[in-house]
Amino acid sequence: MDANDNNANESPPPSSGAASPTPSGVVPPPSPIGAVSAPSDAIPGAVPGTPPATTGVPAAPASPPRGGIAALSPRCQVAGVLALVLIAVTACVHVGMLFLHVAPSNTVTKQHGQAIDDWVYPEFEQNWKLFAPNPMQQNIAVQARAQIRTAGGTNRTTGWYDLSALDGAAIDGNLLPSHTQQNELRRAWDFYVGAHDSQNRPRGLRGQLSENYIRRIVVMRVEREEAVGPGATIERVQVRSRTTNVPPPEWSDEKVSSKPVFRQLPWWSVTPEDMPPGKASKPEGDAR
Amino acid sequence: MNRFGSLLGRGIERVSASALGPYQTAVVRIGFAATWLLFLLRELPHRHELYGPDSPWSWDMARQLIAENDAFTALMWSDGRIWFEVVYALAVLSSALLMLGWRTRTMSVLFMIGVLSLQNRSIFMGDGGDNVIHLMATYLVFTRCGQVWSLDARRAARARRAPARQEKALEPVDKALEPVDKVGPVLWWVLGLGLAVVTFMGELSGGWLLVFWGLWLTHGLWWAVGRRAPDGEARKLLDVTVKLAHNAALLVIMVEACLIYATAGWYKIQGSRWQDGTAIYYPLRLDYFSPWPALSDLLASHGLMVMLVTYGTVAVQVAFPFTLFNRRVKNVLLAAMIFEHAVIAVILGLPFFSLAMIAADAVFLPTSFLRRLGGWAARARGALFARFTRGRTGPGQRAQEAEPARESTEHARVGFPS
Repeated sequence: MDANDNNANESPPPSSGAASPTPSGVVPPPSPIGAVSAPSDAIPGAVPGTPPATTGVPAAPASPPRGGIAALSPRCQVAGVLALVLIAVTACVHVGMLFLHVAPSNTVTKQHGQAIDDWVYPEFEQNWKLFAPNPMQQNIAVQARAQIRTAGGTNRTTGWYDLSALDGAAIDGNLLPSHTQQNELRRAWDFYVGAHDSQNRPRGLRGQLSENYIRRIVVMRVEREEAVGPGATIERVQVRSRTTNVPPPEWSDEKVSSKPVFRQLPWWSVTPEDMPPGKASKPEGDAR
Repeated sequence: MNRFGSLLGRGIERVSASALGPYQTAVVRIGFAATWLLFLLRELPHRHELYGPDSPWSWDMARQLIAENDAFTALMWSDGRIWFEVVYALAVLSSALLMLGWRTRTMSVLFMIGVLSLQNRSIFMGDGGDNVIHLMATYLVFTRCGQVWSLDARRAARARRAPARQEKALEPVDKALEPVDKVGPVLWWVLGLGLAVVTFMGELSGGWLLVFWGLWLTHGLWWAVGRRAPDGEARKLLDVTVKLAHNAALLVIMVEACLIYATAGWYKIQGSRWQDGTAIYYPLRLDYFSPWPALSDLLASHGLMVMLVTYGTVAVQVAFPFTLFNRRVKNVLLAAMIFEHAVIAVILGLPFFSLAMIAADAVFLPTSFLRRLGGWAARARGALFARFTRGRTGPGQRAQEAEPARESTEHARVGFPS
């Protein structure tokens, strides 16, 4: 639902071995490495070898000199027209496919959805429902806590870290927010929610992947915030989301609940693969 | 019927005889290359977390997802740290060179490889801005986007002037006529070698093999045909095909921009918040999109202004594709949209998204405006050079300053009526 997310490649339809679509089915010949055409080529009428218009019969004095396909020899003209038709058809089909891809579900997409998906995925996927049909009206914060086994062999549980609030603080006053602050956790949570049912049961491969993804982000972020200490390890993590309604505008008489809603996930065990390589996860650069 | 026929004939001649919109495609090229370059430089400290070996979206997870959707990324060819650094560096380099227009056609392919490789490696890191860059990077490959405002164009202009001088001097024109280009063939061989290695590694799917080998062979064919007979029929046929592809890609870029606005607008119309005039208020209150809370509060506190901006946004987005039929109205809306994106860049904290959208909008800018823009840029560059080199250079400098002006007159007739 959220505004600025594209779901690039998110929708899974595995094209049944179909070749990757390209903007045009044929490969149109570009100019040689780095070469640009001389601008004179680009001026209609400047093509050498065309009959000058001034020598034309008086009946058609204004007939412009011909260029492009018309200036080719008859044999080449056939090839030129063939190229024209191929390129025109490819462009039209592409534009049509894009239209059907971004349009709402309709008669055509219901019947030929697979063909459209085969053409569009994975490289031409797009979603332009920017803040539409309605903008997000809730702040969703992802929070996490960890169970740490210390060097002495005792367990302790950390408090809840509001990782989204940390993102928000990093974005505040920032002219150039990083994707790691603005998109990483936010979109990972969207991915998780979209790939699980309300009972937190994963749906297929994506469900599993999204779970691993959130866990790895949380481990990385908690390590960054928490002095885990030498010899200590993060054993388990727990994640919850805290959803708060944006209060309605002051001029509105709408009433929405201001009570946050929590969605708490079970504790997850942390495997060695979840740890960042070499634990080199000190705060980076301008993270805050 | 007859009128239709002649109209069609003129249309075909137009799209096969010239690569339309030289300034528009150049500004789109510069816009997207610059956006991606700035993004990569900004994320330099975070590159490992976003796309590299330290990413929470691990290489193995990426591989599982890509096995499902078959997306292209060179980063799946190896999980090594060095390979990642090489790909990132190449992405930076290719966007810088594409922006400058050095070996534009080759760089546009490398640029696309860089964009797709990084974005498809970690698809959950991106937003709408990345999506636009992704699409336009693919389309740019098929355009002749270095006709103006590029190092290629400057080199071509110099090459054209050189033989003219020689003819005047009545010297034998055979050898020195064409300055022998060594870099192009070397680049071609190196990339061909790289492509062969990747092919034998079996990393490319059938479709991508066809695309890359096809592009490589066409580059070679164009060069060979041009060497043998620059005015021959084969060269002319190739040239016509290239122009057709360019014009088709330009059309697709324009339609793509229209689709973005049309869908964004039409879906908004259906939303209750866009109907009751409060929609703009909500993003200003989202923690992830309010880098300047005081500013957001200020904007969000004026009910009438929120409504005007809300309605205005929908109206402009829905109307834009239709205003293309009227030059003046289109230009007004274009200015409004570019301004709105500039505001979004700051207020919602989406600078790269906004830059990408402005770059896409730029395809509709009128040629006259773009040429004026080019003139200002050339003058600014001249003034800058003059400041640096004052007192050190004498007559040579004047020639350098005169060059942009001459280039722009040479292209004066290749305008694009938009």
